[in-house]
Amino acid sequence: MELVILGKGGQGVLFFSKILAQIAIEEGESVKATEIKGMAKKGGVVEVQMKIGEGYSPKIKRGSADLVILLSPDLEAYGKTFGEKIFTFSKEEIEKAFKEVPLRYVNTYLMGIFLAKTGIFDINKALKILDEENQKSLLKGYAYVQSQNGDFTKRRD
Amino acid sequence: MSERIYLSGNEAIAYGLIASGVRFLTGYPGTPSSEILPTAQKLKLRYKFKGFIDWAVNEKVALEMAFSASLCKIKSAVTMKQVGLNVAMDAFVNSAYIGPKAGFVVVVADDPGPYSSQTEQDSRIAAYFAKVPVFDPSSVEEAYHFAKKALELSEEFEIPVLLRTTTALSHGKADISIDNLKIEDQFQPNFKEELKNWEKEVSKLAATPKQRYLLHKALNEKLKAISERNKIRYFYEGDILILSSGMVFSYLRELIEEYNLQQKVTLGKVDIPYPLKKENFSKFKRIITVEETAPVIELFLNTEGRRNGIVPSEGELSPEVCENILAKIGLISEKKTVIIPPLKRPSLCPGCGHRIGLFAVKKVFGKKAIYTGDIGCYTLALNFGVTDTVFCMGAGVSFATGMKKVFDLSGKERMVIGIVGDSTFLHSGIPPLIDAYHYRVPILLIILDNETVGMTGNQKTPAHTKSYEGEPLNSVKIENIVKGIGIEFVKVVDSYEYKKTLAVLKGAKSYLLENKKSAVVILKHPCIYTKEGLEKNPKKPVKIVEEKCTGCKYCIVEFECPALIWDKDKEKVLIDKTLCINCGCCIYVCPKKAIIEVKDGACNTW
Ligand code: SF4
Ligand code: SF4
Ligand code: SF4
Repeated sequence: MELVILGKGGQGVLFFSKILAQIAIEEGESVKATEIKGMAKKGGVVEVQMKIGEGYSPKIKRGSADLVILLSPDLEAYGKTFGEKIFTFSKEEIEKAFKEVPLRYVNTYLMGIFLAKTGIFDINKALKILDEENQKSLLKGYAYVQSQNGDFTKRRD
Repeated sequence: MSERIYLSGNEAIAYGLIASGVRFLTGYPGTPSSEILPTAQKLKLRYKFKGFIDWAVNEKVALEMAFSASLCKIKSAVTMKQVGLNVAMDAFVNSAYIGPKAGFVVVVADDPGPYSSQTEQDSRIAAYFAKVPVFDPSSVEEAYHFAKKALELSEEFEIPVLLRTTTALSHGKADISIDNLKIEDQFQPNFKEELKNWEKEVSKLAATPKQRYLLHKALNEKLKAISERNKIRYFYEGDILILSSGMVFSYLRELIEEYNLQQKVTLGKVDIPYPLKKENFSKFKRIITVEETAPVIELFLNTEGRRNGIVPSEGELSPEVCENILAKIGLISEKKTVIIPPLKRPSLCPGCGHRIGLFAVKKVFGKKAIYTGDIGCYTLALNFGVTDTVFCMGAGVSFATGMKKVFDLSGKERMVIGIVGDSTFLHSGIPPLIDAYHYRVPILLIILDNETVGMTGNQKTPAHTKSYEGEPLNSVKIENIVKGIGIEFVKVVDSYEYKKTLAVLKGAKSYLLENKKSAVVILKHPCIYTKEGLEKNPKKPVKIVEEKCTGCKYCIVEFECPALIWDKDKEKVLIDKTLCINCGCCIYVCPKKAIIEVKDGACNTW
């Protein structure tokens, strides 16, 4: 699987990539990734390309990513050069995350949403690598999607 | 026993060096090499072995210190980026003739692209030039193993060995299998006994030209022996041979499998691009080398590649470029080029002290003055017109000196202002300032002192009073150096104190015009990108008074704080609360006084 995670500094791109890598390693898959941080530190573009269970190099050829996870909507045109399938969080989801959990667990909550909607990893594997507070937030995000019964491919706005 | 850990290429190199016994590691930070040394420091803190792992003032000093350490029989290494090797070149070439007495590895990170460098130079060529063997790993795992192999080769032949990495590898990550770091036994330095019997060896360590001839001869013999055992590794079984090394090898391997070219192509992997030995290629129809960024293997083995235009002569050989190369060879059909939309240009962090300081400089000296900038975060001041030249480390000072001298010769009055950061000044800005003073060149040198190496990830500078291990260090004071040279006008001011800064700069301007001598102003403000810097930074929340903002965009164009954003609908400026650090600097910028301090902490946001 080839993933690209895109966002701005401070938006949790590196957190997302770290958790996904850990889950994949937990599942016994190989992980190769590359982190590209722009020269601007705060607010600069952060880009992670990740190959799970395949490949020899960490770089993803443009157009071949299975999924592009977009944490900053204004990067959509850039993200699409990697692959057609784009995942973004809706405004309601982000608002919900900020409302439901303390600031430092927002990313974990969103990760719960992501796992529920894409089903690319087993939630139990994710739970295994997190501490208690993070587990709670992850489950909350996961449960939120189930309550909405959503499918991200249909729900993109 | 081994374990799997998720490491970057740079981290893997540090693990490899430490695991094979390196106990003296120094270097100078430079993207993409900067994370190697701090990773080794973390290992030292974790395993508490003896040794020295810390930054040097520049690459030449770093290489000389590490090499001399190896002469005292401690395994040593030095890290730098490719242009840093230019700075260290004199020492590097010499180290090959003399030869280390314990393993000595020079780790150099190249930057094909380039992403964050002045040049795309290929350090494998530098290795050839210096007659030093070079390893070129193709994966994170290999980075770890080659670090170890490089050290072993160096020990065996008493020759420096270069370990070359590139941005894609240094910043690439993978879960790799590494040997358990058994520090208690494996990690204790074993040089104590040997050091007791350290003997002078003047004929080598202070060799005369005649003796150098003999050393050169011995070096050539070592290289010949190494080339004899340097074998290309072959993958797949086609009759077109593609030779490669480094990360490019991995891209090619992926593409060959993706397009099922295993029967058409043989992929030859060169682990050590120099010194190479000619192999018998008679069974192949064509031989093409695809390598970053200069022809090295291609020239030595006389193959196709750049010479016949199959491989581009500039830019990174990304997976897409490699795909195109396969098309050019005729193995696959031509691909459409993907047009990549440009990303927003980088700018200084919101609240960076350099911004307000350089804004003040522009206010006093105007747009006509020539600003010779340097390498560091502050290079980005070119976005708002306070940097006109960027060349190489320290050139901000020498360019100012050379250019100002010419204006003086011509009799034309033109202000020339050098801009240099604290670590860049210490790295190579001092010698040109000596010339500026000596030749009475009336430049103003602005030294931006943020007490860290900001651009590359906030490494320690010689101003610090404590090491990463908490050991006391002597703090080097830049103003003392400047005064020591003999410069009379030396002023230090915190750039956040805007009015004071303006006064100091105006004073400097009159001094230059009246006295015709060099002057130095040190603009101090800690980098706010560190946690500590941000916490300690003065807080002055601001807001935009909507009625007063005329939408003139002066603040955006001339000051360029990323937190000041344009509201298209209202045609006015807004503050992005997620980026703003409440530094209050923009208050001084708006000519309409539309940006004001708020006492209640509320501000209009995005
Ligand atoms: S890292 Fe520090 S010095 Fe560099 S732009 Fe940011 S605040 Fe300024
Ligand atoms: S805030 Fe001031 S400088 Fe910026 S656009 Fe408005 S009036 Fe102009
Ligand atoms: S207070 Fe002004 S200058 Fe400082 S970060 Fe916020 S917007 Fe930028």
